[in-house]
Amino acid sequence: MKRILNGNEAFAYGALAAGIDFYAGYPITPSTDVYEFFEKYGKDYGVKFVHASSEVSAINMIMGASIAGARALTVTSGCGFSLMQETISYMAADFVPSVILNVMREGAGLGDIPRSQGDYNQMTKGGGNGDYHTIVLACSTIKDCVEFPSIAYELSEKYQNPVIITYDSDIAHTKEIVEVPIRIKNDINKLSYTLTGNINNNPKRIQNIYYHDSDYNNTLKNKYELIEENEQRYSDYFTEDANVILVAFSICARICIDVVKRARAEGIKVGLIIPITLYPFPKKVFEKINNCKKIIVVELNILKQMRMDVEYFTKFKYEYYSINSMSTCETVLDILNFIKEHK
Amino acid sequence: MYEMLCAGCGHRTAMMILDEIIKEKNIKEKIIMALDVACCSLLIDYVDYDAIMCAHGRVLDVTKGYKMMRDENIVISYMGDGAAYSIGIEEMIHSARRNDAVLAIVINNGLYSMTGGQVAPTYVGANVNAGVNVNVGVNVNVGADVNVGANVNAGADIIRPIVVTNVDTEGTKLSEPVSNDNNIGFKIENIIGNLPISYFARASITDKENIDTAKKYINTAFDKYIKSGGFNLVELLSPCPTNYKLKPVDMVNVINNGWSKVYKIGEIVNNV
Repeated sequence: MKRILNGNEAFAYGALAAGIDFYAGYPITPSTDVYEFFEKYGKDYGVKFVHASSEVSAINMIMGASIAGARALTVTSGCGFSLMQETISYMAADFVPSVILNVMREGAGLGDIPRSQGDYNQMTKGGGNGDYHTIVLACSTIKDCVEFPSIAYELSEKYQNPVIITYDSDIAHTKEIVEVPIRIKNDINKLSYTLTGNINNNPKRIQNIYYHDSDYNNTLKNKYELIEENEQRYSDYFTEDANVILVAFSICARICIDVVKRARAEGIKVGLIIPITLYPFPKKVFEKINNCKKIIVVELNILKQMRMDVEYFTKFKYEYYSINSMSTCETVLDILNFIKEHK
Repeated sequence: MYEMLCAGCGHRTAMMILDEIIKEKNIKEKIIMALDVACCSLLIDYVDYDAIMCAHGRVLDVTKGYKMMRDENIVISYMGDGAAYSIGIEEMIHSARRNDAVLAIVINNGLYSMTGGQVAPTYVGANVNAGVNVNVGVNVNVGADVNVGANVNAGADIIRPIVVTNVDTEGTKLSEPVSNDNNIGFKIENIIGNLPISYFARASITDKENIDTAKKYINTAFDKYIKSGGFNLVELLSPCPTNYKLKPVDMVNVINNGWSKVYKIGEIVNNV
């Protein structure tokens, strides 16, 4: 069935299609549409809904439900996402799957609610205490919002690690026509590591202190090596013959698609790379580049957070430029002019 | 049994009570232990049940999430007083408000034990003379940091960061434990007693008589939880001789003669 949905609503339908059983959350702009969706319609689809007393409570309920085999979801933004970090760190260390949507807010502290991509470092470098990563999927279209929840649950259950889905508030509130997939029922008994009670005289434990297991470090290390090897995802447009390559995700990626179209119409060889997984960073796509000398990273944060990753993973061998601000998107023409000036 | 714990530790007694009840009821296959961090988490290597080590103070949230997905299981939410009444008080209140299906055991020893005996909100002190007379110490300068007399024989000063308004002359030790003063300790019944919970009882786990009582209360909590869910909490006044720097037998006297006067023992809330 086709519907006109904004990013948040599309995400909610995507989560239903992924088979979620449990939602716990706390309202925060600009992610509240998802909360309201499950508050209103959750029971129609058999999704258990809890008004948690805080984001801290919400994420811990998600952890409990995930341990019980559920496909559990919480959705938040900015400061709410920060409050969840302790338990996200626990889940990564405990090999507990889960999916969290972070609709990014602007700035640090309370910040504000316009489009922004300032949580890039927090999401891709861990965010909580200790040695861990979360897989991060960034949506650039409303179609992505529908499709990524299913991918996220599969990845989180495969690697037993939390997966963050993210986009900015422009994607959250942009409406597009999308195909809404059919809801699939999750089987809470399908995973071998789900806690069911000690039935076979072999007690299972969810823990991250292993007083007696020296192999735990290696197990954890292998998990992230496997993820980095196998799960790099990206979209690339006209990169093979490009002289200049743009790198952007979420709302910036949509603008850059138009930049590429216009530049190509004018005979300027511009390409675009859209990282879909922010972690693991899709460094493989840069290995396909031939003629490019210049990389322009277009992002919505003042610290050039993604540019640091781009420089590092391309081994500092290009000329790098940034088009960035905290929450103001440059127009297609502005970016095109920037390319012409730096040709 | 539970050899990682200190001599005289209350966790051992509490776990042995739970083990007995679970064996008697033959419900081992349904049990999920949701454990808090620190000393509680030491148990995870010993219990013969599926177990979760939760983040500090978040046991009741994890319990809620699990129990909503698998109602047939019995989740024992096992935590210390720091987790239950300090960092996790919000979870405690809201779980009680919702009357969630909870079977909670709180080990209350008034201290953060794993980190070396810093005082918790539940702290009432342990002045002991020759292991008999117990002083619930209250040396107070109102408005300043309060030095509650926990000068045990071994001489450990504990600074309590909470102003207690029951003023005694400086340096004077009370010869009788203060029993009616609501400003001593932190009584969870004052917070959740009027919420629509199923059951709250408090016992001490010191000697045979008290342990039998504790077992009776925990049994009642199990029965109510299995029959109709609801919020069931049993608090156990529990010895920590290591951090009070007492012999285990003196610690028993502190609890029997001191804490038990401050914290009411018995079935305090028992709703149908």
